[in-house]
Amino acid sequence: MKQATLSRILYVEDDPDIRELVTMSLQLIGKFQVAACDSCAAALDLVDEFSPELLLLDVMMPDVDGPATLQVLRERVSAENAPAIFITAKVDAGDMQRYRKMGVLDVIVKPFDPMLLSSQVEQIWRSNRSNLNDNNK
Amino acid sequence: MTTTNDEFARELARLTAAFVAQLPQQVQILNDDLAAWLSASREAGLFDRLSHKVHQLKGSGSTFGCSGVSEAARVLEQRLAVLQSDATGAAASDLEKIEAAMRALHGEADRIYRESLRGGQAGAQT
Repeated sequence: MKQATLSRILYVEDDPDIRELVTMSLQLIGKFQVAACDSCAAALDLVDEFSPELLLLDVMMPDVDGPATLQVLRERVSAENAPAIFITAKVDAGDMQRYRKMGVLDVIVKPFDPMLLSSQVEQIWRSNRSNLNDNNK
Repeated sequence: MTTTNDEFARELARLTAAFVAQLPQQVQILNDDLAAWLSASREAGLFDRLSHKVHQLKGSGSTFGCSGVSEAARVLEQRLAVLQSDATGAAASDLEKIEAAMRALHGEADRIYRESLRGGQAGAQT
C-alpha cells in the first residue's frame, strides 16, 4: 500500500520575516507546496483553491488570532478535515489544553530551528496519520 | 540532500543578514510608536499595535539568532504588559521602566547591526 505523504501546507503568519523563513524551510528542505499568507482574510481567499492537507498557524496575530482563524477555516469544506499545527512563542499548560480541545495536533514553539522545522512538521503529521489508521482498524 | 541544505543555508544567511540590516530601523519605528503613544492620546489601538510588534520582534529575534534583541524585546513586552489593563492610568515609574527597556532594545539592535558590519553575521549569533 502506498504511504500517504504530506504535500500541501497552508501557512498563516503575520510577521513577514518569519513567514519568509518558514516558507523557505518548508519548500526547500521539506519539498512541500506552501501557500503562505498574513491573515485570516487572506487565508480564506486561498483555502478553497489550494485545498490544504495541513494548516500551520501562528497564534498571536492582530485582528483574528490563530485559534479564531482555525475555527473560520474549518467552516470551509476544503479545510474542514485538515489537521492543524500552531506555531507560537506563547504556550503554557492551559493554552495547550485549549488547543487540543480545538483539535490541534501539536504546537511548534518559537524559536525553532529552521533546519529542523520541516521534519518536525512531517513527524507531527505522520504521528497523527498513524493514530488515525490505528483507530480505523 | 547536501545541496538542498547548502542552498537553504545560503538562503538562511541572506534572510538573517536582511533581518539584521533592518533591525535599527525596526526598533526606531517601535521607539516612534512609543513616543507617539506617550505624547498623544494614549490610544488603545496604538498601544496594542506597539505591544504586538514587540512580541513579533521577540520571536523573530530569537529565530534569527539575535538572542540579545529577543531578550530585550521580552523585557519590553513584560513592561508593556503591566499597562495592558489600564494603559491610560500608567504610573510614572512604569513609564520610566518602559522607556529604559526601549533604550536597552535600541542599544542591543545597534550593537548587533554594528557587529554585522564589522564581521559578517557574527553579531547575529550572540
